[in-house]
Amino acid sequence: MSERTGTVRRLLRHPLGLVSAVVLAAIVLAVLLAPVLSPQDPNASSLRDAFGGPSAGHPLGFDSAGRDILTRLLYGGRNTLGGAVIALAVALLLGVPSGLLAGYYGGWFDSAANWVVNLVMALPAMVVLLASRAILGSTVWVLMVVLGFLVAPAFFRLVRGIVASVRNELYVDAAKVSGLRDPRIVARHVLLVVRAPIIIQVALVSGIAIGLQAGLEFLGVGSGDTPTWGAMLNEAFKNIQRAPSLMLWPGLALGLTSGALVLLAAALRDALEDRGTAPAGRRSRRRARTAAPAAPAAPAAPAAPRSADAGTPRTGTPRSADGTSPEAGERAELLSVRDLAVSYVLPGGGTREVVHGVDLDVRAGEIVGLVGESGSGKTQTAFSILGILPEGGRVCRGSVTVGGEEIVGMPERRHRALRGDVVAYVPQEPMSNLDPAFTVGSQLVEPMRHKLRISRAEAVRRALDLLDQVEIADPRRVFGSYPHEISGGMAQRVLIAGAMSCDPRLLVADEPTTALDVVVQAEVLGLLRRLQKERGLGVLLVTHNLGVVADLCDRVAVMREGRIVETGTAEQVLHAPRHPYTQKLLGAVLDGVPARGPWQPSNAEVV
Amino acid sequence: MKKSARVAIAALAFLAAPLALAGCSDAGGGTPENEPKALSLATMTLPQSLDPKDATGSALPFFQAVYDTLIKREPDGSYSPMLATEWKYNDDLTELALTLRGGVKFDDGTPFDAEAVKANMERFRKGGGAQAKTLNDVKTIKVVDATHVTLELSKPNPAMLFYLSDAAGLMANPADFAKGDALKTKPSGTGPYDLDQNLTFIGTRWTFTRAPGYWGTRLPYDTITINFFDNETAIVNGLKTGQVNAALIQDADQQISAESDPKIKAVKQEFDFQGLVLFDRGGVVTPQMRDPRVRQALNYAIDRKTMLEKIRQSRGELTNQVFGKSTAAYKPELDSYYSYDPVKARELLKEAGHADGFTLKLPRIAAIVSDALAASLQADLGAVGVKLVWEDVDAGSAIKRIFTDRAFSGLVMNIGQSSTDWVVVGELVLPGAFNMFGYTDDTVKKLLPEIQGRDAEEAKAELQALNEHLVKDGWFVPFYRMTYLHVSDGSVTITPQDGMAVPSIYNYAPAE
Amino acid sequence: MLSFIARRTAAGAVLLFVISLLSYLLLSIPDVDVGRQLLGQGASQDLVDARNAALGLDRPVLAQYLDWLAHAVRGDFGTSWFSGENVTRAIANRLPVTLSLMVGVTLVTAVLSFLLGVWAGVRRGAIDRFVQVFAVVGYALPGFLVTLVIVLVFAVHLRWFPAIGYVGLTESFTGWLSTVTLPVAALSIGSVAGVSQQVRGSVIDVMRQDYVRTLRARGLPPWRIVFRHVLRNASAPALAVLGMQFVSMLGGAVLVEQIFGLPGIGSMTVNYTTRGDIPVIMALVMFSVIGVIVINLIVDILIGWLNPKARIA
Repeated sequence: MSERTGTVRRLLRHPLGLVSAVVLAAIVLAVLLAPVLSPQDPNASSLRDAFGGPSAGHPLGFDSAGRDILTRLLYGGRNTLGGAVIALAVALLLGVPSGLLAGYYGGWFDSAANWVVNLVMALPAMVVLLASRAILGSTVWVLMVVLGFLVAPAFFRLVRGIVASVRNELYVDAAKVSGLRDPRIVARHVLLVVRAPIIIQVALVSGIAIGLQAGLEFLGVGSGDTPTWGAMLNEAFKNIQRAPSLMLWPGLALGLTSGALVLLAAALRDALEDRGTAPAGRRSRRRARTAAPAAPAAPAAPAAPRSADAGTPRTGTPRSADGTSPEAGERAELLSVRDLAVSYVLPGGGTREVVHGVDLDVRAGEIVGLVGESGSGKTQTAFSILGILPEGGRVCRGSVTVGGEEIVGMPERRHRALRGDVVAYVPQEPMSNLDPAFTVGSQLVEPMRHKLRISRAEAVRRALDLLDQVEIADPRRVFGSYPHEISGGMAQRVLIAGAMSCDPRLLVADEPTTALDVVVQAEVLGLLRRLQKERGLGVLLVTHNLGVVADLCDRVAVMREGRIVETGTAEQVLHAPRHPYTQKLLGAVLDGVPARGPWQPSNAEVV
Repeated sequence: MKKSARVAIAALAFLAAPLALAGCSDAGGGTPENEPKALSLATMTLPQSLDPKDATGSALPFFQAVYDTLIKREPDGSYSPMLATEWKYNDDLTELALTLRGGVKFDDGTPFDAEAVKANMERFRKGGGAQAKTLNDVKTIKVVDATHVTLELSKPNPAMLFYLSDAAGLMANPADFAKGDALKTKPSGTGPYDLDQNLTFIGTRWTFTRAPGYWGTRLPYDTITINFFDNETAIVNGLKTGQVNAALIQDADQQISAESDPKIKAVKQEFDFQGLVLFDRGGVVTPQMRDPRVRQALNYAIDRKTMLEKIRQSRGELTNQVFGKSTAAYKPELDSYYSYDPVKARELLKEAGHADGFTLKLPRIAAIVSDALAASLQADLGAVGVKLVWEDVDAGSAIKRIFTDRAFSGLVMNIGQSSTDWVVVGELVLPGAFNMFGYTDDTVKKLLPEIQGRDAEEAKAELQALNEHLVKDGWFVPFYRMTYLHVSDGSVTITPQDGMAVPSIYNYAPAE
Repeated sequence: MLSFIARRTAAGAVLLFVISLLSYLLLSIPDVDVGRQLLGQGASQDLVDARNAALGLDRPVLAQYLDWLAHAVRGDFGTSWFSGENVTRAIANRLPVTLSLMVGVTLVTAVLSFLLGVWAGVRRGAIDRFVQVFAVVGYALPGFLVTLVIVLVFAVHLRWFPAIGYVGLTESFTGWLSTVTLPVAALSIGSVAGVSQQVRGSVIDVMRQDYVRTLRARGLPPWRIVFRHVLRNASAPALAVLGMQFVSMLGGAVLVEQIFGLPGIGSMTVNYTTRGDIPVIMALVMFSVIGVIVINLIVDILIGWLNPKARIA
């Protein structure tokens, strides 16, 4: 419920959405109130007044038959919009339930329904409409019923597709387990998901119905005495030399209505996208808004180095006094972040800061863990270092040096030159980070050819070598495979191979194992550690998993709500956490998750 | 990626090229002297076939290109020799002797002779075409010798010469009669042109090229193309941009559009009248129609002046009679017999016992009955208590609903005003399509025999009496004669054809 | 691949058969006296009956259909009741006109809407808003109104192009180009508006994909990412829409052919369907259904080529 009101509110905040909704509402209202607004008969004709201009009681003047244009416009709107409503009703009635059933149950009904839909979609709409007029008679309503029948497949396919993809999702399974009966599952969960796309489709189909009706009218496949906007436009067209202005009102009405419908659909889609697929940055922003009212906004502090406590005095932010954390002191050559702040542009104007002055260093051969809950800003920090912040996001303050070069304010071209061969990235979700349209091999070869300027053959050789290095058993087969043909663990190895392909000095790994199952996680972490050792890489490991930190990291920075709250060696932070938040994180691990695998006591002790 | 770039370049070339072309086509607009002369006509008439037995008046140019008629009708309506060089009636006008042109051959060498005439006319009469009835009065066709044939009529028919200059006079190659429907798409006659099958797309474009060895005078054009369009807007646009050389424009709005172009030349002609044909005078469908006072009331109820002004932009003349100005029956004063007088109309209805009015259902053919016409008739008749209900009929249902089902009391039509009195009588007064219930009355019964046996000028008094009776008795509700425009792009001189809306194929000549 | 095409062809044949049967039965419902319509109001009932018998209309509908089917499978669609033309030839005569329009519009649409859609989806900002506005305007304006304005401006007023008529591609290429340019332009506005929106949406969707970020992190330049990866992934849904656009273009062609006086399938559809000329309507239905089947097949093959995941399906 609140989800819907949220969408409506977002829709109305969308300026075009608001305007189009208001225009549509006004048109519908005017058309409904036709008898009140214009108490004349829309067919009353006084030929003497034909082509007459506006006069008292006839604000828009008269048409070629001496009928009041305003009255015809209003009543015509009733028939035009009414026709569209009929077409929609038929299409929804046929398309939605059948789509729900076909998508939910599949099986023979799905096959049969699909076959019928293919049949209907293969029919030439114009021929069907023209012929149906001969068969069923020549009223607008009949044509609109037929049109509804013809567009029903659009709804069927839409609903079927969504339902089929949603069917196996967790919450439906869960609903099944908890014993809800099928109709209630459909009603409660599935309908909720398909509702919005249907509304968008409704707006588009209404536009089509209205336009098509006008087109038919123009062909002389008319509505007889029934006034419609199409009929008015056609009549105006027939008198275009004598009174070109007759085109104005019906044209405007048609254009405004279908334009408003398209805009509304677009705005609705935007509003839904806003809700559904907001980038991580915005999500965290929203959290920040709700969760951190007490924390005073960080003052726009001068550039690094920062020495004073900006956070809560109780715990103290990382201090140089720690000795183990060099942040406040000399900056690391490989990666050094000082007072980094990231902000996002808000849709309604203004900006919101999501990372507030982060300090961080990674030296060659060192693995630094950046730990925090999701939404704490650690991924934003990682993206800032890579220069791949999503749309709307930017580094608004601070300094980031990679290999000694300042990248804040660096032109994109030069920054790009650092990516791949100086700093590389291992993403979180292996499957979604490979382009499904290209083979694994071509995705490995392409950056190497571009960055290292080597021949194809050389790149292929290197790629196979890399695949071998990341412990893939059959590199040639994987090289020629598409991403959907390999497993998640395999894909993550491929991504690690991709990150290594141009011999970077710094690796930014964003939750590299979160999406993998436990056994594979262990293997991948082992692989990362091996490569890091062999190549002397500096690694910034972004994770929420303290077990991973314990396994791999030399040093740890704990991040919360856009700030680093604690930093130190892995040992220090894990065994003697000082900040309550870190303590809480550790507590959660100890409570919930059993001790980790066999490689547990390795690197954490190595300083 | 490379591929899409190539496509993009190709598409840009596609978009840009016409600009360059436009210059070329403008430059090459004029036709040099030695080029073959071509005439491009536009029409909204779609002939169902090019077999003469299916010929109708408005499609006549299609047929004239390929076939000759026995008698040629000159632009002024007079008759001159064509395939027949002489014709003569006997004294009681029941025998028409024709002398045929000798030495004329069809394309395959079949000679045109009296047998061919007999075969053609008998086929026409029995062929079931729309004009077959025009030979109803021909009893026998007697072959005298190869160049002489005599038509024996069951009763005199003053329009017979007209018919022989029209559809019934078209002569096709009898050798093709045995070939089923061949003539429908492969016409074969003695005419000035042949249908060029390669450049003809039946239903959209017909190209006629000069027939080699045509027996008669060569027409000025080497090729004539007739293009079919289903709306006058396209035709007028085509005239303006030079794809069409000549056309007939009926719609007032399109006439204005055509006249707005200084290059376009226009000749006016008044041929069709628009009006309501009340064939239900016997009251079969609408009993109220039986009373002449009701029919008169309809005539009084209609504001013709406003209709002409608003619907036709005053392009036409008011009329109350169905006879055209060049007929003997025409009486100028009958053009304004009925004034616009709703009060009188109400009184007449009251006298007839229909003070409460009645419902009249008419078919609406959208091409003829415009929105304005439909609405204004509804308003005018409604004002005197007659509720007019339109039933939409389209190409598929019109003939069936109107002529087979006989579902209506009348029909709003555009009807050509022939210059031959008996053609008018045959179309509108005698039993037939527009008098489908076969209604007649004593006055008509008395006058018809006196008219039929005589030449129109001789029977002028009776014809005028008939005309006056039809007007006063309310047989019809004519609105106005409509001004049509023969327009050309300036390269053609068009001579209108008397008694026909569409000029004969012979009436086009290069300008200057 | 071949078995895929074979399977689709077989399914298409079944579809054709069912549609032909349904169409024939439905078209036979209206009580049109064909003989009377052909012979006119003046003909005697005997003649009308004889003509109906000659056309085979006195037999049961199913028998008529089987007869039609027997001829149709051999490519013989019979003769038009009303114009006496050979239907196959009539359609063959008109097909180049409509095909010129449809292929022209599809090419223009594909190129322009990909350019606009990618541009808007990648750059966003002012260009995006411009494309959005164009899409809404192009979509909202009634098609025939746009066409009329185009005729008035570019043909009647500026005289750049002929206002009506069609010149065959084989007669004269320049003539063909000049006669199809305006109709193609008129039809393209709406379809570019629709498809560019689709491309924009897909591009934005793809731009938000994780793998695009990863590609950026690999140091590939943006143009390379857009043209190689984004375009390819965004193409599949856009192609599907383009295919549907192509299929539904017959409807738009009807209006445009009318206004430009083009002797194509569209104007034929109007003229013959309203008269209930069953041989012609049946042929038109069959040709369009075949067209739809072929286009869908092509689109599916293309999508399969673009999107390896779709290939297994």
